[in-house]
Amino acid sequence: MTRTSITLEHVGLDLPIFDVSGQSLKKRVLRAGRRNRIAEDNAGVVIVRALDDISFTLEAGDRLGLIGANGAGKSTLLRVMAGIYPPTAGNVHTLGKSVPLLDISLGMEDQSTGRQNIRLRGLLLGMSDKEIRAKTEEIAEFTELNDYLDLPLRTYSTGMRVRLGFAISTAVDAEILLLDEVLSVGDAKFQQKAKARLEGLHRRAEIVVIALHSNEAIRNACNKAIWLDRGKLMAIGNTAEVTAAYEAHATQA
Amino acid sequence: MAALGIATADLKASIKAWRLWSLLGWIEIRQRYARSKLGPFWLTISMGVVIGAIALVFGTLFHQDMATYLPMLSTGMVTWTLLSTIITEGCNVYISSDKYIRQVRTPRLIYVLQAMWRNFIIFLHNFVIVLIVLGFYGIKSWETMPLFFPGLIMLLLNAVWMAMVVGLFSARFRDLPQIVVAFMQVMYFITPIMFAASALKKHEWLITYNPFAYLINLVRQPLLGEFPTMLTWNVVVGMTLVGWVFALTLTGRYYKRIPYWL
Repeated sequence: MTRTSITLEHVGLDLPIFDVSGQSLKKRVLRAGRRNRIAEDNAGVVIVRALDDISFTLEAGDRLGLIGANGAGKSTLLRVMAGIYPPTAGNVHTLGKSVPLLDISLGMEDQSTGRQNIRLRGLLLGMSDKEIRAKTEEIAEFTELNDYLDLPLRTYSTGMRVRLGFAISTAVDAEILLLDEVLSVGDAKFQQKAKARLEGLHRRAEIVVIALHSNEAIRNACNKAIWLDRGKLMAIGNTAEVTAAYEAHATQA
Repeated sequence: MAALGIATADLKASIKAWRLWSLLGWIEIRQRYARSKLGPFWLTISMGVVIGAIALVFGTLFHQDMATYLPMLSTGMVTWTLLSTIITEGCNVYISSDKYIRQVRTPRLIYVLQAMWRNFIIFLHNFVIVLIVLGFYGIKSWETMPLFFPGLIMLLLNAVWMAMVVGLFSARFRDLPQIVVAFMQVMYFITPIMFAASALKKHEWLITYNPFAYLINLVRQPLLGEFPTMLTWNVVVGMTLVGWVFALTLTGRYYKRIPYWL
């Protein structure tokens, strides 16, 4: 049996931001006929270094929290670990099935019923038809939407959508779970239920990575933490140390 | 070669995920025709009206015999619509699936197969017109009919590799969809759909060097009781092989760039 693990080696990620001119074929063709170096350099493509030389290893049992200011690269790092963005430098080695839960409203189709949406999202998350069939009832029960599940999604309130999205996403069996701040969902009563369900999900997964704003939540849920700042790894280590360092930095600034 | 390997692996995974792309294709059709009673049959009706109008005007202009003109026109239009919409919609396969591509890791070519599937379903609806016309004017020969199926498969294979190529480039260069639409519009007029190939006496090269003409012929001729020539088969098989290797190599080469372009 292979051990579940993720290893990042000197991972860097440059995100090209194409403005209107950068994405135009016309500009490309016009530029090709010109021998002006300055114009070529001003190609209109701005590159943002989203991640810079990040290395670490996670093994089965690890619960990693990502902290940092907005735009520090937390979500990007999750996407790299999920294999959505291939890194532009370095390597990512993943052993085990990883499931990213980045956007709660992923693959929700307004004209389809709740049940059809369960199937769609299930397939998108890589579940087999058999798995989906086995889990549909459990998902339906958790959402407490009852008969609404047979109505098209456009009749749902925002809260009902969130419930459904959350229930489907968290029904998946993942060895590596990558979460992006999915904790704040629904009304107070549902929050309690959601919390319990997330904890169950954490227990089933062998590795969990969460991007969170609340240090409190990270201290509760994680044994390791990474502090990112503008794409750079500022600190990695046990949760208490890293969150303390981050808090000291945040109050200082 | 490595590029080809990446794309082939993705293609295999994509085909395996047929449940996903067939569902996504269905959803799109359902969305487009939500709450309309006739659904995609509206397309059949509008296609029928267009064919009727063209038959009336051009049939009269060219002094055509309706018994040969109408079957030729209807088979040509229905087949062309399948081919050209897969290609023009192919431009948007990655662009319009950006929310999926940036949120989950699915095989990427499923989005191309999804466009193919969606248009194939619409083709089946449009095919009703062909059945009606052929039923009315009578089928010339049953002998050629089985060749329709391999012809259709070859046409789909070619449409898919073309969609792969334009879809990839369109994600990077957002002008391309417009260019492709304009190009397909021109091809519609110079491919023998509204006129018989033999009517173009002086400018036969328009057909000889038109790859789309071969694709259309391969599907249409069996329906009209003709055997496609050996040349037609050779050209199409050649195109399929070269096209697929080209499209897969290209996809593999830029595979990693796709999420960054969206």
